Amino acid sequence: MADVLVGFCGGVRGGDLVTLESSTLAAPLLRELYRKVLEAGAQPLPRITLEPLTENLLRFGNDEQLAWLNPARADDIESVDVRIVLAAPANTKRLSNVDPARQARYDRSAEPLRNRYLERAAAGELRWVLSAYPTEAAAQDASMSLPEYEDFVFGAAFLDDPDPVARWQEFGERLDRLAGFLATKREFRIVADGTDLRLVTEGRIWVSSKGKENFPDGEIFTGPVESSVEGEIRFTYPGVFNAREVDDVRLRFEAGEVVEATATRGQEFLREMIAMDDGARRVGEFAFGMNEAVPMFTRNTLFDEKIGGTMHLALGTAYPETGGLNRSALHWDLVCDLRSGSEVYADGELVYRDGQFLNGSS
Amino acid sequence: MRDARYDKLAELVLDHSLRLQPGEVLRIEGDAAAAAPLVVPLHREAIKRGAHAYTALDLGGLKEILVAHGSDEQLDFVSPMELREMDAIDASITVWSESNTRSFTRADTHRRQRQLTAQRQVAIRRRDRIASGEHRWCGTLSPTEGHAQDADMSLEDYEDFVFRACHVLDDDPVGHWRQVGDRLQARAEELGSVRELRIVGEDTDLTVVVEGRTWRAAYGRQNVPDGEVYTSPVETGANGTIRFGFPAVFGGREIDDARLVLENGRVVAAEAAGGEEYLRSLLELDEGASGIGEIAFGLNYEIDRFTRNILFDEKIGGTMHLALGMGFEALGGQNRSALHLDLICDLRREGAVYADGELVWRSGQFLQDPQPARLAERVR
Repeated sequence: MADVLVGFCGGVRGGDLVTLESSTLAAPLLRELYRKVLEAGAQPLPRITLEPLTENLLRFGNDEQLAWLNPARADDIESVDVRIVLAAPANTKRLSNVDPARQARYDRSAEPLRNRYLERAAAGELRWVLSAYPTEAAAQDASMSLPEYEDFVFGAAFLDDPDPVARWQEFGERLDRLAGFLATKREFRIVADGTDLRLVTEGRIWVSSKGKENFPDGEIFTGPVESSVEGEIRFTYPGVFNAREVDDVRLRFEAGEVVEATATRGQEFLREMIAMDDGARRVGEFAFGMNEAVPMFTRNTLFDEKIGGTMHLALGTAYPETGGLNRSALHWDLVCDLRSGSEVYADGELVYRDGQFLNGSS
Repeated sequence: MRDARYDKLAELVLDHSLRLQPGEVLRIEGDAAAAAPLVVPLHREAIKRGAHAYTALDLGGLKEILVAHGSDEQLDFVSPMELREMDAIDASITVWSESNTRSFTRADTHRRQRQLTAQRQVAIRRRDRIASGEHRWCGTLSPTEGHAQDADMSLEDYEDFVFRACHVLDDDPVGHWRQVGDRLQARAEELGSVRELRIVGEDTDLTVVVEGRTWRAAYGRQNVPDGEVYTSPVETGANGTIRFGFPAVFGGREIDDARLVLENGRVVAAEAAGGEEYLRSLLELDEGASGIGEIAFGLNYEIDRFTRNILFDEKIGGTMHLALGMGFEALGGQNRSALHLDLICDLRREGAVYADGELVWRSGQFLQDPQPARLAERVR
């Protein structure tokens, strides 16, 4: 895994400054990564976090502290060449009882940093990869034992393949072809149980996500024309954000904005998030999950948005490289299973049915 | 379960050592795993005090990989971000805890030294800011199994030992350390009028000239726990023999029962029951390594045993220590070296100390409460 993260994903070269960002739970992989970064002639910079620290700030910090932008973090974002970030939670629900308004204030304070690193990434100055190290907490969220979850994570990353990099390259080429096909389309319509949604992608760029910035990976995404989203969508899987879950989310859009949002559980939280700022009620991302080795929902967006045969929308900020213009402190991916009884039309033509692009699409 | 003693230690460091103010920027450093039990309450209490607290955490085992596998260029690397960071922070805390205190024992000494030398740039930047009053710093420790093992104790016993030494179980820990400060500052002032000290103990008879040097009291500002008075002696003024009853632990290696002969401030003969070769290699590190950088008295009587950790050992009540190598410029010390090797001499049983010929210390105690010259004059 360390080999693939440093070489294929991070593209680490001699002289690079490389931050390794994770919790102590990922120590075994962090040590391997550290060694591989050294072998590549680059400089590894460990940035180790402890989960209770964010909780300390959110619980006890005043408004000024919540809004404080750490200059050392900003300097990192400005100075490093590669960021390797590993999610390795001890408890994914630690922040469940934090006041969402305080959480939102804190999220907004991090927005300039996020925008800056996405900007540097889009300009090719900064490479980053978000990955996951299997922990008991993540396994529990996925309703698996840790050994089962490890198999799931490494399987999703094709690490059980004799040549994972070749497999990712091959998969990437397929995604590139598909992105090329989708780029020829103007308008999409998604039809599924509780869903009939139209949006325009004309003039926007379809990006194939093939193991460079997320690992494992496997999606194609764009930023839709902000005002074009119309209709309704029902998300199959719970929306998971900031340690909270929202079940059976249904959204209705008019002229690109959410005008109705309901959920069977967590509806209030959903509405608070959508009200976070001006961009939070608009769509920043429209994407298809394409990784067949991620067959099930595991309450972790890194994996869930890649489930083969799904699509997702993100409320909030768009990725600049798609041409998407929406900006927000929010980026909340909501996933809709399209594997049965679903159709996607592109410019009126059926291109996708029951979780698969039809022949001729790629 | 949360152990309130860690919270109290955190409060002591923030309120007494750093006197942290709302809006100040505080960096908390340490090993993420080993130091966590103290880092988390330090961060929480600092947030409660309105400070912008954040952590810069390392992970045990990584530096070891760097020293074992890094190129010279990688060993020499100093993070430009970290250097800039030093200028942006008002205060910092180093939690020295390690999970394994011997993880560098087998490392190549030269490569380790090279990596440490590079990292000193950051320490120097911080030291300069401390000297100019722009920065406050404190080093402390969170108990770990590794440190307990070094002290021949269980973790539970070691925690008791550490928290007793820090006086965090007192009703008013800050008040305690203020009192210690008053007492030790008076002692330092008194020693400031002394020309020459003579230390007599088992296999020990050493005279050290301290005339013109400033003594400093250490009462919990830069170290917790604390409790010593120290200075840098006149570089050419140490003569005689000294035997260090406690092992010295340096770079993950031990030097047992070291005996030194000094002439005009320089070590002219050195032997040790264990680690003699290592001791000699340290003395040859550079020109200043065989000179004296520090003389001090350990005065924390809650620290009553040797635990193989210099933060505690140098403060054992009733001991004195010499450091070979780097002296303290601010106290008048002129010796310069990459080394600062503290060697501890137990004066609790047979020890006697004479100040300009007068007996001032016997069996681990100063004989009288401090009588600073100025105070004495005023009384007169």
